[in-house]
This record gives sequence, C-alpha cells and structure tokens, in this order.
Amino acid sequence: MELLFALSIGALFGIALFQLLRRNFSRIALGVIILSNALNLFLLSMGAYDGEVAAYASAAGQRSDALPQALVLTAIVISLGGLAFVLALMYILSIRYNTTDSDEVDRLKH
Amino acid sequence: MNASLILPLLMCFAGALVAAAYGWPVLNWRVSLVWASRVVALAPVVAFAFLLDIASAVMADKPVVFSIAWLPTLGLNASLYFDGLSALFALLITGMGVIVVIYAGYYFSDDRSAWRFLTYLMLFMTAMLGVVMAGDVITLFVFWEATSITSYLLIAYKTTDDAARRGALKALLITGGGGIALLLGLLLVSGIAGGADFATILNGGEALRQSALYPAMVLLLALGAFTKSAQTPFHVWLPQAMTAPTPASAYLHSATMVKAGIYLLARLNPALGTTTLWFWVLTIAGLTTMLVGAYQGLKQNDLKALLAYSTISQLGVLMLLIGEETDIASKALVIGILAHALYKSALFLIVGIIDHETGTRDLRRLGGLVRHFPILFVLTGIAALSMAGLPPLFGFLAKETLLATAIRMEVGPIVDVLFPAAAVIAGALLLAQAGTLVFNTFLGQPRDPSLHPHKPALGLRISPAIPVFLSLAIGLLPEPEPLAQLLASAASASFGDKVKVSLAIWTGINVPLLLSLVAISIGTVIFLNRSRVRAWMQNFATGWSLDRAYTRVMQLIDRAANLITRVQTGYIRHYLFIMLIGLGVMIVWFRAFPSIRAPVSNLSLGDGTTLLRVFALLVTVAAAALTIFIRRDFLAILGLSASGLGVALLMILEPAPDVALVQIVVDILSTLVIVLLLTRLPAALRLRSSNLPLRSRRSGAVRDALISLGAAVVVAAIVLTALTSRPRQSAVTPYYEQNAKPLTGATDIVGAIVVDFRGFDTLIEITVFGLAGLGVYTLLRYASRKAGDVERADPRRRDKLRTLGIGGARTSSFMQLLAHVTLPLSLIVAATHMMYGHDQPGDGFTAGVIVSLAVGLCYVVFGYEETKRRLPWVKSGYLIGAGVLLAIVNASLGALHGGAFLAPIDFGERWGLSLPQGFHLSTAFLFEMAICLSVLGSASYIIDTLGHPKDHDVESDQQLQEIAALEKQVVVMLDDRGVEVT
Repeated sequence: MELLFALSIGALFGIALFQLLRRNFSRIALGVIILSNALNLFLLSMGAYDGEVAAYASAAGQRSDALPQALVLTAIVISLGGLAFVLALMYILSIRYNTTDSDEVDRLKH
Repeated sequence: MNASLILPLLMCFAGALVAAAYGWPVLNWRVSLVWASRVVALAPVVAFAFLLDIASAVMADKPVVFSIAWLPTLGLNASLYFDGLSALFALLITGMGVIVVIYAGYYFSDDRSAWRFLTYLMLFMTAMLGVVMAGDVITLFVFWEATSITSYLLIAYKTTDDAARRGALKALLITGGGGIALLLGLLLVSGIAGGADFATILNGGEALRQSALYPAMVLLLALGAFTKSAQTPFHVWLPQAMTAPTPASAYLHSATMVKAGIYLLARLNPALGTTTLWFWVLTIAGLTTMLVGAYQGLKQNDLKALLAYSTISQLGVLMLLIGEETDIASKALVIGILAHALYKSALFLIVGIIDHETGTRDLRRLGGLVRHFPILFVLTGIAALSMAGLPPLFGFLAKETLLATAIRMEVGPIVDVLFPAAAVIAGALLLAQAGTLVFNTFLGQPRDPSLHPHKPALGLRISPAIPVFLSLAIGLLPEPEPLAQLLASAASASFGDKVKVSLAIWTGINVPLLLSLVAISIGTVIFLNRSRVRAWMQNFATGWSLDRAYTRVMQLIDRAANLITRVQTGYIRHYLFIMLIGLGVMIVWFRAFPSIRAPVSNLSLGDGTTLLRVFALLVTVAAAALTIFIRRDFLAILGLSASGLGVALLMILEPAPDVALVQIVVDILSTLVIVLLLTRLPAALRLRSSNLPLRSRRSGAVRDALISLGAAVVVAAIVLTALTSRPRQSAVTPYYEQNAKPLTGATDIVGAIVVDFRGFDTLIEITVFGLAGLGVYTLLRYASRKAGDVERADPRRRDKLRTLGIGGARTSSFMQLLAHVTLPLSLIVAATHMMYGHDQPGDGFTAGVIVSLAVGLCYVVFGYEETKRRLPWVKSGYLIGAGVLLAIVNASLGALHGGAFLAPIDFGERWGLSLPQGFHLSTAFLFEMAICLSVLGSASYIIDTLGHPKDHDVESDQQLQEIAALEKQVVVMLDDRGVEVT
C-alpha cells in the first residue's frame, strides 16, 4: 500500500509539474491545484496510525491520526484562497496582454 | 521613582497621539494650528519639568535604572538608564522640543493638515528621548531605528516635492545602513561584556578592550555613529536633508538626532575608550569632518546648507573630543554640545522665519533685511557671535575649551602641532561663515527688489529668542551652579571619572586665548574678503564631490541588481529545471538516496477498503493525467474536479470525515471559481487558449515530460522513504486524543485541534483567507480599472441582465427553483455544522464554503444584478470583518474569563441555559461561527468579483474576425484530433 501511495503521489506531482510548465495560464492553474492535492495527500498519509475509525474521542478501536488531518484541513482552505488570488492575477495578465500564453507576457522584465 | 522614568517617554508619545487626534476633522476645523501646537507642547513641557526633577537626583553620579523583564530566559530586559549624560541630552530634547513645537504651530499656521508634521515630530521626540534614556543596547537600537524612520517622515514631509523625497531616502539609506553595523557592534559588545544593560557593559570595559574582536566592535559602532552623526564621508545626507521643513531641520539636524552618534560613543567611551585604535578612529574622522564642514559651509548660497555644513563641522569637533582621553576633553564635549544646540537651533529657526516671510533663503537674493526685521537682526547677531566663538557668548567658552584640549594632546612632534592648527583653521572658517550669514542677509543693499518681506508673527520671533537668551545668559552670568553641576555630571559619565566643570569665561591670558585670537584674526581676514574667497571656492574642484560618490554607489547597486535580473529568463520552466537539477545534485552530494527501512505492508486486494483505496488512487491519478490530454479548458477542469473527488474518497477511507467534507466542498468551489474566471475571458482569448499547442517545439514537450518524470521519481522515492520509516507511534496525537474531551469538551478531535489546540493558527488562517478574497476584489475591481484594463460597466445594460444567468443565457425555471431552495437549505446545513461540528463531522470551514456554494449557484442561475438584488445581505467585506473581529473578541473572552487567549468557555453551562441536546453555547461554537463568516465573506467576494458581468461584452471587429478564424481552425482540429494544428 505504501508503495502504491508513493507512486501515486509521485505521479500526481509529475503531472502537476508538467502542467506548471505549460505556457497556457489555465493549465498552470490546473497544475497548482493538482500540486496542492498531491501535497495534501502526502501529509495525510503521514499519519502514525492505520485508522479503523474516525478520530472521535467516543469511538472505540484504533483511531486515525488526528494531527495531520487538522493540518490538511487548514491547508485545503488556504490553497483555495491562494488559487483564487493566482487566478485573479492570471486574469489581469491575460486581459492586459490579450493572451493566455505566458511566453507572450514579457514586459514585466525591467 | 525608578518606574517613573518611563513617564517622559509616555508624555511625548501622548503628545503624538494628541497631535494625531487634531487630524480629526471635527477638531481640525474648530481649533487653529497655533492653539493645537500649544496643547501638544504641553507634553514636552511636562516631560522637561519631570526630567529636571530627576536630573537633580542624578547629579550625585548615581544613575537611575528601571527595567521590565522582556525575554528573561535570554537575559534581555527593556530598560531605562538615566545619568548626567542622559539628563543633558534629555533636557535638550524636551526643552528644544517645546520651542520647536510652538514654532511649528506658527510656521504652518495657515496649513491645517500640518497635524501630520506635529505627529511625526512628537513621535521623533519620543524615539530620540528613548535613545538617550535607553538602559540596554537592544532598547537603544530600537529607538535608534525609530529616529531614522521618523526623521525620514519629517524630511519627506512635503511628499509632492521630489527633492524632499530623494533627500529623505538618502538619509534613510545611509543612517539605516549604519544602523545595521551598529546592531552588529552592539550585539558583539553585549555578548563579550556578558549583558546587554549599560551597567554591565560599563563594568566590563577591561574584557571588551582585551577581546580579539575589539577592533571589529569599535569599527562597527563607529560606523553606526558616524553615519548618524554625519561624519565625513557619510555626511552627504545632511545637506540634502535640509529639504525638510525648517522646524524639523532646527530640531533634528542641529540639536538632537545628529547628536545621537555622539551620545552613543560618549556613553560607551568609559568602556571602549583609552585605546590607540579608539583615539585614532575618532580623531581622524572628527578632524576631517571638522575641516570639510568648515570649508564646504562657507561656499554655500543656501542659508540652510550653510548651517548644515557648519553643523557637520561642529559634529566633527565633538567626535574628536570623545576620542581624547583627558578630563578637559570631556568638559569641552559637554559644553560644545550645549553651546552648539543653543546657537544652531536659534539660527535655523531664524532662517526659517526669513524663508517664511521672504520666500527665499538664497544668499544671492537676500540683503538689507535689517530694515524689515530689526529684532531678528539682533538675535541673529548674538547667535552668530556664539557660532563664531566670540566673547562674551557661550560659544566662546566652547571654543576655548576645545583649543585647550587641542594643545594638551601628546601624540608626536608633528601631529601635536597639526591638531591646534586644524582647530584654528576650522574656527576661522566658522567665524567667516557666521559673518557671511549675518552681513549678507541683513546688511547691505537688497539684492533682489522683487522680495517683499512680511512681518513675522510674535510667536515666530519669540522661539529663537529663548535659545539666544540662554547663550548670552550662560556666558555672562558668573557660574550658574546647577548648570555647571549638570555638565560636570554629564562629562563624568562620558569620561568615566569625576570631571569638574567651571563656566567662567575669563581664565586669564593663556595659550588657548592666544590661539583664539589667531583664529579670530584669520577668520576676520577671510570674512572681509568673503566674496572673493567664496567665488574662488565655488569654482574650485567643482567636478568632484562626495555626493557624486554616493550617486555612483547607488548606480552600482542598481546595476548589480540589473545584472541579476538579466540572469532571470522569465520562463517558469527554466527556474524549475534549475531547481530540480539543484535538488538532484544535493541528493547525490549528500548521498541521500532513499532507504526503505520497514517492510512494505501487504497489499491484499481481498480487503474491501484496500480495494477502494486502490480505486481512489487510480481515479485521482488518471483524472489528473487526463487534464494534460484534454484540450478544452472546461473539460480539463472537470477532469481536475474528478481528481479532487478521488482525493476526498481517500480521505474518507483514512477515515478522516472532517477533512473529506472540506475537500469535497472546496473542490467544487475551486471548479466553480475557475469556470467563472474562464467565462470572463473574452471569447477570442478563450478559443486561442484552447487552441494553444501542447508544445511550442516538439523537443519542448519531451523536455518538460522528462523533467516531470524525473521529479515524479524523486518525489515517489521521498514519499516512500517517508512512509516506510515514519514513526508508528505519534508523540503528540495521544495528548490531543486524551485531552480533547476533558479540556475542550469536543468529541471530534480534529475539530478540537483546529478551533482549540491550534486555535491561534486558525485565527491567522481565516485572516489570510479573508485577505485572499480582498486581494482578488482589489485586483479585479480596482487595480484593473485603475490601470485602464477594464472599463466601467455601462449602467444602461442593467435592466437587460435582470433575468439572465451567467454569460447572458436564460436559465430554466427549474434551475431557478433549485437555486431558491438551495440557499435556505445550505444555511440550515451550515448552522448544524457549526452547532454540532464539535462532536460530529463538519466545521466552520465546511459551513462557510457550503453557503458560498449556494450563493455561487444564485450567481450562475440569476446572473449578477439579480443576485445582488435578491441577496442584499451578502456584504462580503463586512462578513470578513465581522468574522475576524468575532474570532478575536471570542478569543479575548477566553483571556478575560478562562485565563488565556483562546481558552475554552462553555457559556451554556456557566449560565445554566437549557439548550438542545448536544449543542454547547461555547467559545468553540462562536469560533466556528467566526470561521464560517469570514470564509463566506471571502469566498463570496471571489465569486462576486468573478461573476461580475464582463465590462465589455461587445467584441471589436478585429476580435470577431479572430474568433471566426479560430473557430474554423477548431473545427478542423476536432475533426482530425491526431493532427497538430499549428
């Protein structure tokens, strides 16, 4: 199972990177989301316990690890905020340069 | 008594608050600036009186110390230290402060927005007072930097004046750069002396001087002090800082701030002094500065520049005196500080009046002003006599003691003569400067007939009269005993041993007097030939100046920065490529190859959960991979959404229901946000975007694929190593599990961590999320309109948009009904999430996102205008504000009643309310509500901004042609998918 997780997270990371390397803004945005998904998944899978029941104080049995879950929960919301901001920037760029091709946005230098 | 040391600082700060309050329109309209400045001046008056009171106590050389524990584990305190030296400076600061504040009231009398100036001035006064009263090096440094910042604000007060802004920046860069050196020096000193407070440092002189780092300490501290006190070659900022309003120049650049460096070195002199290095560093800097200032000053045409250079010269003298190891030098130092502060601030104030009433301070245009300002002429004359060092003024005494110091130095046969000679030359030049100032301004014929001087207000004239009167009184009165005591106490503090100060002017015929006579005669000769000398000076070596050196340094920095930006290609892929190569090199270098320590756990497909997990992983990866190959953006986004849901499924299987819930709603919301954004893009762009080839060159895609593949392998290896070697027993989680219920009353451990154990984290997070929403709003609604990217929506189009959905399409009544029903339902769901989230899956985040999704649906179904009309309560800005405010108030409730910030309180239990089963009216509930509000606010800001109707729907002809052409291409492309369209 660990191997499968590792391979999947690696694959997600690779896909995200490939998308980030595209010239098209919308693809870069997709890459950002996939990347945050991959990282959240990694963080979640780092829990110390193989949980059988959810992390509730009332539950009997082996509970899943609550700490990484709490961290991931915050990370998800924050990445939504970050995504929205990145999208807004990309929108402004694409309107200002009349393109969605990042290679054509070249006047930011100097 | 010791704790009351803080009072003067608080008074000055209160003065700043009062000055700022005067900016409030209600007061600003009713009270004149003159009156406001009088009220503000009460602050330094009280501080001065108070300091005078404690100063009498420290005359006996017993410093008063007060400290508050700040970081006791590091031995750091915020402390104050008050002895004779501090008293001299503190009394100067507050005393001159009173005069300058009142003067500023008249100076700006017709400008009511000058409350800003008064506020900055009072803030500066607080900072400056803090510097001279600081009891340890850290406190000193903090106040030191505060003076740099406030003086920046004061110099750049005329924000529309380009020269003022440049001058302020120059001052800030130079003194700020010196501040960094100072910090290093101070840290070294406190580290070696074994404590940051002055008592320890002054006792640790022996250890400091013996240390191998002693030269570094001296040089760093000297750099800090030299930049602040305008020693050559760092003096270049001071003349340009004269762009500040004159009250600020009079205060900062003559009496107070430029003396901060002098104060610092005098303060540390007993600990660091008495070495050859100390002597030479200070002497050479001081001597050079003294001569450069005296020379440069004489050739200036601008009265303020003339005064600035003579100030620089005087600062050089003071620096020189600190370096000497004789008691008479420290006596000369304290007398010099006081004398200079008195006459120089008076001259600045007078120049301010001349500038104010005639509109110029150019020596080439002024002249014959005695007819208009007879009293001012007398005042200037007396102050100038003091500046020139003529009897019976206080300045004469200062010069005499300086000369006495100069002839007492014993360093070598040639140098012995050099010092007195330099002192004589500088004295002569200063006398010529003083003469030029008086004669060229007030006497002779008016050079510019177009000047029509006004009569200055009485308050303006009184201000310079006070320091002038003091200069005269100290010179004439026989031995003012308290003053002599204060000066003696200050001199002792800087010398490190008892020093006697006598203020008698006449000490008989001796060598200093003779040297003085020589200086006066040379000075008189220069003065009489001033027009020729000045003309010669102004033509001499014009091509070379330190200002140019400064500009050159700045250019070099710019060029270096430019060079670095040239290295930047601007292509993300290049950066990523380099980063990955770097990572690879690091892995090989450190041999950090993955090592799988524990056996990989079995993968038996028989177990239902495992099977589901494998399925979820496959969905996640496959859907993500599809986004690469699907060319249409909308379809790719749907693929992404599926991938996100796969992640949610994995979370459910963890089992982590809370996280899964958030992941699902956030996944939907991000999809919605991207879709909304794409609909805003002009159709032509969108089409071109879909049509953008996967690769610009064939090798490009291959290269990117290789990079990604490499990264994927590395990440997979890292993850595998991490997963197989992770500890199987958490160090923290058991604590949370055991204490969630007893401490926070929550069954849901994840919820307890989010709103309780790590509540502060969450508080910051909702703030950040709120800021993201505000950022999107600002960027799209404000910044883009300001930059001319988007025009204002046509108001006539409003009616048409009424019943149209997003993108202008009419929506079916079924959809409209659905949207009607969803919103109240979402509110109920959100409410239950908040109420029961502590014991059940769900929390404030989920609640907030669910409501925003329902709001988003309304935007999609009804369109922008209609939604705005239907949902007037969705005021995003207020929601964010209310949420964050509620969170902070709620957390503070814990501080008030529970003992700590964010401490849990169950109000329901406390007040014995009968509430529904399982619902606790507690701080946790309020916090969830706060989270929900701010998330809703921010998300609705994002949706609202992106759902705003496109401001120009009508595409231009050119764009329409483009669309048509592209559509043809797309058709071709769709017909024959395998073929790349280029």
